[in-house]
Amino acid sequence: MLKASGIHKAFGDQHILKGVNIRIAPGAITCLIGPSGCGKTTLLRALALLDYPDRGRIEIDSKTYDFPLPKNGHTPAPWPRVTAVFQSLFLWPHLTLRENIMLPAQNCNENAEKDIHGLIELFEMRHFIDNYPNQASIGQRQRVAVARALILNPRYLFLDEITSALDIEQSARILTKLEHLKERGIGIFMITHALGFAKRAADEVIFMEGGKIVEQGPPKILDKPDSNRLQSFLSLADIAA
Amino acid sequence: MNVWDILIHYHPAFLKGLAVTIQLSAIIWSSGLIIGGALGLAGAKFNCAVGWPSRFLSFMLSGVPVLVFLFWLHYPAQAMFDLVINPFYTAALTLSIINIFAVADQVRGVLQDFPRQYLIAAKVTGLTRRQTIFRIQLPLVLRQIIPGLLLLQVTMMHTTLFASLISVEEIFRVAQRINAQVYRPVEIYTALGVFFLLVSLPINGFAFWLKTRFTRNLSEQ
Repeated sequence: MLKASGIHKAFGDQHILKGVNIRIAPGAITCLIGPSGCGKTTLLRALALLDYPDRGRIEIDSKTYDFPLPKNGHTPAPWPRVTAVFQSLFLWPHLTLRENIMLPAQNCNENAEKDIHGLIELFEMRHFIDNYPNQASIGQRQRVAVARALILNPRYLFLDEITSALDIEQSARILTKLEHLKERGIGIFMITHALGFAKRAADEVIFMEGGKIVEQGPPKILDKPDSNRLQSFLSLADIAA
Repeated sequence: MNVWDILIHYHPAFLKGLAVTIQLSAIIWSSGLIIGGALGLAGAKFNCAVGWPSRFLSFMLSGVPVLVFLFWLHYPAQAMFDLVINPFYTAALTLSIINIFAVADQVRGVLQDFPRQYLIAAKVTGLTRRQTIFRIQLPLVLRQIIPGLLLLQVTMMHTTLFASLISVEEIFRVAQRINAQVYRPVEIYTALGVFFLLVSLPINGFAFWLKTRFTRNLSEQ
């Protein structure tokens, strides 16, 4: 279980996260939704320990991180047990897509050579896997970025709006694959605007606004929200869809 | 006397001048690449302590024409300190200073503009520090920096001609002296131009090839 409690984060005098508590279970999909600028990406980066929270506690299975961290203390890195795929994919441009996947895999996956074949089949990457990132479409790169994360056998996979730049068909293709990952025991925490996917596949949905969690629960909260704010957000989302 | 006759007849002088030009270029290139590279690295790492002062000096230098800087170090500076320094060393020092700061600027710029997202990707995928430096940072930085550095070094070689104006017996001055004797400017300066083309074009061509072959769009677009 990945648990975070009392997470605070500020940039200068802007208080972005205001005491967020969250749990991400292995083998479950947790979808985080909310308006732009509400702190979703900041929360994801804090949970992935890419930006340390100012205050709070994060427990990743047996490891506990209390913030602020003690000065000169050693902080064991949680990566790639916790890994992330971002909206901008961050594929290394001088390596082929295959090398992008294999370089990190060599460190932590003895069966990387075998596993990459499975991933190539799963994400239908055979015809472009040896291209460079700038020779691939956004959808193809998106699949590679997810494959690069999966070959690391992570326990928790964080996804930050990974389908926002894709068309409906490509989004559906990736999101469908994600549903299979639950079976592998991976805890998926994703920021998404794909409410249809959240309704169908999520185990928990969290609605965030102004640096706080306003409402959370099973996907049915998207049909019958308790809070007025989630209700108005969903009605606007309907208009935008 | 045609151009070949001139070259054959005066080849000892030309070779001597060429040797001086090569020595001068070698000093400027090596000092620029080694000291400038180190200064650029330090400037990127210690922005306040090294980066800003180095940028300020570079900015000041860019406002002074090379010839003025060279003359100033050759005449007033030596007069002020009551020194007489071999003009070859003065030229080497002047052009080295210019090259050092130009290289430092390029190195620091590429390092500071290095896209942070590739380091984040290295972090979250669990790459070791060594892997991050040698498999991600260094290849990308070198691909960005090498074409520009090669072009800069060609330009610096061209600036060695200024050394002739403070009596350094490099190839341009030799050509001038021979021309003063035989007065065949068309042949002599054409031969000189061809010489510089033969040296510069392969380096420029290599730089452009590197640029088109290896400088990928780092924005991922």
